[in-house]
Amino acid sequence: MSRITRLTAKIPGPDTGIEVKKSLCAICDPLTQCGLDVYLKDARIIKIEGSAEHPFNKGAICPKGAAGRQYVYHENRIKTPLRRVGPRGSGTFEPISWDEALDSIAEGCMTAKSGYGPESVIFFSGYTKYFRPYLRRLARSFGSPNYCTESSTCFMATAMAQKLVFGAPGGPDMANTDCLMVWSSNPYHTAHGRGAAIDRALDRGMKMIVVDPRRTPTTSRAHIHLRPRPGTDGALALSMANMIIEENIYDADFVANHTYGFEEYREYVRTFTPERGEELTGVPAANIRAAARMFATARRACIMPSASPVVHHTNGVQNYRAVFMLAALTGNYDVRGGNFVEPPSYLYVSGKMKTREDEFENPKPLSELAPRIGSDRFPVWMEIANGEAQSMHIPEQLRSGKPYPLKCLIGFGMNYRMWPDSEGFLKSLRNLDLIVNADIFMTDTCRRSDIVLPACTSLERSELRCHSMGYVQLSSPVIEPLYESRSDVDIIIDLAKRLCPDDPLFKQGYRATLDWILSPSGLTVDELEKSPGGMFLKNPINPPERKYESGARTPSGKIEFKSTVLEKYGERPGFESLPVYNPPKYSPDASPDMAKEYPFILNTGSRLPMFIHSRVNHLSWTRSLRANHPAADVNPEDARRLNIAQNDGLRLSTPFGSIEVRANLTEMVMKGVVHMYHGWGSADVNTLFEGDYLDPISGFPGFKSSLCKIERIVEAAA
Amino acid sequence: MMTRNQSIIVDMERCVGCGACAVACMDQNDLLPERGETSCRRIYQMEYTDERDAVIQYLSAGCQHCDDSPCLIACPTGAIYRDERSGATLVDRDRCIGCHSCALACPFGTPRYDADDRMLKCNLCAGRVEAGMDPACVKACAFGALNFGDPNRLQDDKESRYANGLAGAFARTR
Repeated sequence: MSRITRLTAKIPGPDTGIEVKKSLCAICDPLTQCGLDVYLKDARIIKIEGSAEHPFNKGAICPKGAAGRQYVYHENRIKTPLRRVGPRGSGTFEPISWDEALDSIAEGCMTAKSGYGPESVIFFSGYTKYFRPYLRRLARSFGSPNYCTESSTCFMATAMAQKLVFGAPGGPDMANTDCLMVWSSNPYHTAHGRGAAIDRALDRGMKMIVVDPRRTPTTSRAHIHLRPRPGTDGALALSMANMIIEENIYDADFVANHTYGFEEYREYVRTFTPERGEELTGVPAANIRAAARMFATARRACIMPSASPVVHHTNGVQNYRAVFMLAALTGNYDVRGGNFVEPPSYLYVSGKMKTREDEFENPKPLSELAPRIGSDRFPVWMEIANGEAQSMHIPEQLRSGKPYPLKCLIGFGMNYRMWPDSEGFLKSLRNLDLIVNADIFMTDTCRRSDIVLPACTSLERSELRCHSMGYVQLSSPVIEPLYESRSDVDIIIDLAKRLCPDDPLFKQGYRATLDWILSPSGLTVDELEKSPGGMFLKNPINPPERKYESGARTPSGKIEFKSTVLEKYGERPGFESLPVYNPPKYSPDASPDMAKEYPFILNTGSRLPMFIHSRVNHLSWTRSLRANHPAADVNPEDARRLNIAQNDGLRLSTPFGSIEVRANLTEMVMKGVVHMYHGWGSADVNTLFEGDYLDPISGFPGFKSSLCKIERIVEAAA
Repeated sequence: MMTRNQSIIVDMERCVGCGACAVACMDQNDLLPERGETSCRRIYQMEYTDERDAVIQYLSAGCQHCDDSPCLIACPTGAIYRDERSGATLVDRDRCIGCHSCALACPFGTPRYDADDRMLKCNLCAGRVEAGMDPACVKACAFGALNFGDPNRLQDDKESRYANGLAGAFARTR
């Protein structure tokens, strides 16, 4: 920084030899792919910025994306395909060629298929997500029903809760609403484009209610912040409903004409007075009343859900059903300014365009294949989730071999620490004949695999993304893949040549498959490639309001206060057809004896702005933004009582395990709750959970409420 | 083209402490924490309790480029100087002798020192601004917490946002 020149300032131009190419960031995912301006000199990335013309990020970038250069060039990149040479888990590998790697994987899969059937091979996707349609098609063409993803613990249960109530999920129409109720999401730290959109709406006078046990930048912007104890969301929603019905401020026409089960629901919520709500949730009754009034009397109001916080409880789906029913009760479903339904386009996003994604992903119907992993245990998942297996059941099926054995696990971006009792899950993998993981970096999961494949980052390949504002982007590589790394899709297509050579689409290669998927949209790869930074659709599909009038996509054809899907499982605990509130399995209310020894509520897995799971934990730029060690959030008042100071060593324990962390004293976390971030190899909080601590409806782990204790480690670690 | 009226202005109501500005600065200036270099923007999370409740406040802190820079006055070698075009307080690091006089003089704790003990601080991305671009930290910010420009123009923007919000509130209650 001695002399400032156009070169040192990285100004693009012929004089500096610096050029800017368009791409997108896929470090976090989905719905939040920011457009990137990548500065290059001599074919090397020298700087990354947000693209000003991109409608999601509008030129901005988050700390993770801003660290993209370190991400691409990090020394921990996997450089060649690798084959394990020592015992499994020893971490000793030898480099092999791509052909050797793909041939051995194919041989392992074909051996399993001939001995135990194609269902014995699991295809798993962690992050990123752009290749998922390809991986699912590979599984189906090969004949395996066992395609599963990280959605076994993220987002899908939220979608299930919405589907149970509405049939089709509706997103918050923030641009047109008068009142936004954010239910446990903090987009200012997780999806900045959405946070900025909230700011714009607040600037034009929108009211905002935020429900969150934590204090966050989102809650500090709220007109009303409701702070329920973790896992009591259902009781809070029910007491808001009680108030809305008692005060007769619900939409009686909508309820009478378009809903099912209202009388039983009304009867059930009768006991949830705001005073009882206060008792169950800790939220003052006056605040429950104020929020219920604000939400129900707004001309238009909508709910912004979160992917995981509400459904990471053993009662998660029931809780979120109770929440979404507030949109039904107030007639705010599928209207502008409410929770508006737009049909899905591609990769979970409703992008105002039509594709053949579903047809592409499912060359064979599930009915022709063996039952998916978790079929007996999670029947509602099997009925209404999106056709994936429920991967939380993998360890159980590996241990029992029932109803059929599992032999191979082909992972892309798989992280074994995602599972509750992560070490137990890892042990169960011993029963597999073959573990493969494709990833960008040599992760702990790669070290425990038999074959490791080097994938490249989004800047080294192409991917298709669409956005809710009717914007579509097919990125082009800005640099060649580093080392011998390859795009995940190319790896999948080469595996397909070996595993399902007759697949008519895979044979034609990446571009042809994309054109096939895109054909209903009228777009082509050729056209999209001309605008590598993306483009607005010429003819965006804008569906009408109130599509439920011609029949909601529930079994009853109505919006359901009483679920006709759950009704079928009436005798199973937790499957009540009304949104019955049960406290989390391990909580002061449900397990008071355990709470005597473990007096704190353990809440885990919130996001920090500079990290996303463990994907950028190894970069010095992101790490420099936070103390360089795993730390648990403790409320300052609890800390004083226990004589705990900032950065003290803590032992954080549940009956199932303990980890050593540092104390971070903060008002972000409420009194009586300890919050621990996930994804730390040296202090893996998921080891503190039992493997079967799951919501019986969705199979989602109860990561956001269990019970724990903390003890100061007298000799604080150096 | 820069004028002396332009500076980086922090809107503390908008800052969420995400640190995008800090990383963007390190990317722009090739600063590496492992070499002991810090970003020229640093993030603070301040917590206090008022009579009603606890409050959490975030701040992205960096050089203020003061009009009467105490660091410039204190520098014995003239390494710190005023850039007449931009009004930025800059350091000619070749002339810096690592005496830390600037650290003693600066009331904001801004100057930092690299492995060679030479002062390191924000240069207002003068090269970018000269080329018509915003400073890297300002470009990164998603929430308008960091702004670059004439303070009066930025106040105009803020006031009109406030007025529009009022108009929205009236429209709803009519």
